[in-house]
Amino acid sequence: MIFMKHKILIIEDDFTIQTQLKTLLTANGYEVHIVTNFSDIIHLLKESTPHLVLLDIKLPVNSGFEICSQIRTFSDIPIIFVTSSNTDMDELNSIMLGGDAFITKPYNTAILLAKIASLLKRAYALPQTEVLTWNGAALHLESSQIAHNDHKTDLTKNEVKILYYLFRNAGKICSRNDIVDFLWDNQLYVDDNALSVNIARIREKLTGIGLTNFIKTKHRQGYII
Amino acid sequence: MNGRQYLKNQLPVLLVNLLGIITLSLFLLACGNSIQSILFLSCVWGAVVLLYLTVLYRRRKKYLENMLSMAEQLEERYIIPEVIKIPERADDQVFYQLLKMAEKSMLEKIGSVQRERSEYKEYIEQWIHEVKTPITALKLLCENNRSPFTREMLAELENINRFTEQALYYARSEHPEKDYCVREINLNDVVHSAIADSKYLLRQNHVTVTVDKMENRVYTDEKWVRFILNQLISNAVKYRTNQPVLHFYSTRKENHVLLSVADNGIGIAQSDISLIFEKGFTGQNGRTVPNATGIGLYLCKRLCDKLGIGLTAHSEGIGTRMVLSFQINHFVSDFLVE
Repeated sequence: MIFMKHKILIIEDDFTIQTQLKTLLTANGYEVHIVTNFSDIIHLLKESTPHLVLLDIKLPVNSGFEICSQIRTFSDIPIIFVTSSNTDMDELNSIMLGGDAFITKPYNTAILLAKIASLLKRAYALPQTEVLTWNGAALHLESSQIAHNDHKTDLTKNEVKILYYLFRNAGKICSRNDIVDFLWDNQLYVDDNALSVNIARIREKLTGIGLTNFIKTKHRQGYII
Repeated sequence: MNGRQYLKNQLPVLLVNLLGIITLSLFLLACGNSIQSILFLSCVWGAVVLLYLTVLYRRRKKYLENMLSMAEQLEERYIIPEVIKIPERADDQVFYQLLKMAEKSMLEKIGSVQRERSEYKEYIEQWIHEVKTPITALKLLCENNRSPFTREMLAELENINRFTEQALYYARSEHPEKDYCVREINLNDVVHSAIADSKYLLRQNHVTVTVDKMENRVYTDEKWVRFILNQLISNAVKYRTNQPVLHFYSTRKENHVLLSVADNGIGIAQSDISLIFEKGFTGQNGRTVPNATGIGLYLCKRLCDKLGIGLTAHSEGIGTRMVLSFQINHFVSDFLVE
C-alpha cells in the first residue's frame, strides 16, 4: 500500500497532548506538524499546507474560533475542533464558523482516527483501498471476502474486522487484547473466548481456500500473519 | 388577632375608665344626685368605652388579617413591605420601618449568596474543563504505550472522567435550560458511544455486552443521555456477579420508546427499589459493595425529569433492568416526515 501521506496540523497548547497526538497520528500513517508559535498560526498554516487541522478552542493569543474563521477566508481544508468544553454554544459556534467536526476531550482515539479518516476521504476523494493483500491473500472489505489464488470464502463481520486488523499490522505481533480493543472500537463487543472461537473459524476458512498456517500463534504474545 | 389578648392589652384603658366612673360617681353622690341617675351615667360611660374598644378591635383585626393574607399570597414573603400600604399609626410606622430594614438586608444577603453560588458554579465548570486536559494527556500516553499496566490505568481514567462528568452535570442540573439541546438522535449511536466511554472498565471486568439492533430515533439531548447511560453502565459493573452480562435493547410501547439496560447483577431489594433515586440512598447494596455514594442514580433521575424522560428500575428475579422511556411526540415526528 503506497499512497501519499496526509499532513495534519495540530493546534493545541498542551505539550503532552501535542507530542502524544503526534505519536498516535504518526503511528497511523500521517505526517504531523505542530504549532509552537501561537501568534503566527496562519503563516505556518499557509507554509505547511496541511490536509487537515486539529484545532483546540482555548488557545493563547487567539481563540480557536478566531483561527477557524481566519482559515476559512482562504481555505476549505477540513477542521476538527478538539476541546474540553462540551457546551452546546461551543458546538454551535464551531459549526457556524465552518468547522467540520467537534470532538470533546477526553476523546476516544479510535473515534478521533475514524473522524480524521472519513473527513480526509470526503475532502480529497481518496482512491478506495478496499482490498488489502499480504502473502498472496487478498482481503476484500466491501464484499467481506478473502481470496487466495482463485478461491474465495465469505467472512462474518467479526472475522473481517479481525483479519483487517491483522492485515493492517501485517508482519507484527498483534496481542489478543489489542485485537479485542479494536473490535470494541468497531462496536463488536467480543470477549476473549469469542476471539479464540473466531480465530479458529477463520483458520478453518483459510485452510479451505488453501492458506494453511496463515495466522501464526505466538505463545503468550498474540497472533501474527 | 386574639380577642382575649387584645382585651388584656387594653387593660390600662379599662382601668382608667373604671377609675373615672368611680371618681365621678363619688363626686356626683357628694353633690346629692340620686343613685339612679349616677347608675345611668355610669352605664352610658361604660357602654361608650366598650363600643369604642369593639369597633377599634374589629377595624384593627380586619387591617391585620388583610396584611396576613397578602403575605400568604406572596412567594417571597420577605418583600411584604413592598406590597402593603404605609401605615398611618405612629407605632405601626416604626414596625413598617423595621420590616423595610429586614427586607433590605435579606435582599442583600440573597444577592451575595446568589453571586457566590454562580461564581462557584462557574469555577466548577472551568475546573472540570481544565482537568480534562491532563485526563486527555494521560489517556493518550496510555493508549500510545499499551500494556496490561496502562490498561488498568485506562479503566481508572474512565472512572476519573465519569466522576468529573458527574460533578459537571450536578452543577448544570440546576439550570439545565442553559445547556440543553434537543435534537433527533439515534439510540443505537448513543448506546455505542456510552459503551465506548466505559470500554476499559467493561473489559477489565469481563462484562459480556450485547446491543440489539435499535432503529428508534428519539428527540432528546445526546450528551445528557450518554452521561445517564454511562452512570447506569458503571452501576451495572459495580453491582455485578460472576460472569456479568449487560444487555441493551429497545421496545416500542404506545407512544413511548423504551430503552432498557439489563444486567445480571445482584439486583435491588424490593424494599429499596422505591428509594434508589433518593439523594444519598445506598440501601442494602451499599452495605455490601464499597464506594456506593447515592449520587449517581439521584442525578440520573434529576436529569431525566428535566429532559422529560421516564426512568424506572425493575428488579425481579435476576439482576436489574433500568428503563429509560422517551416520549414520541407525534406532532414533531409527523411534522418532520412531511
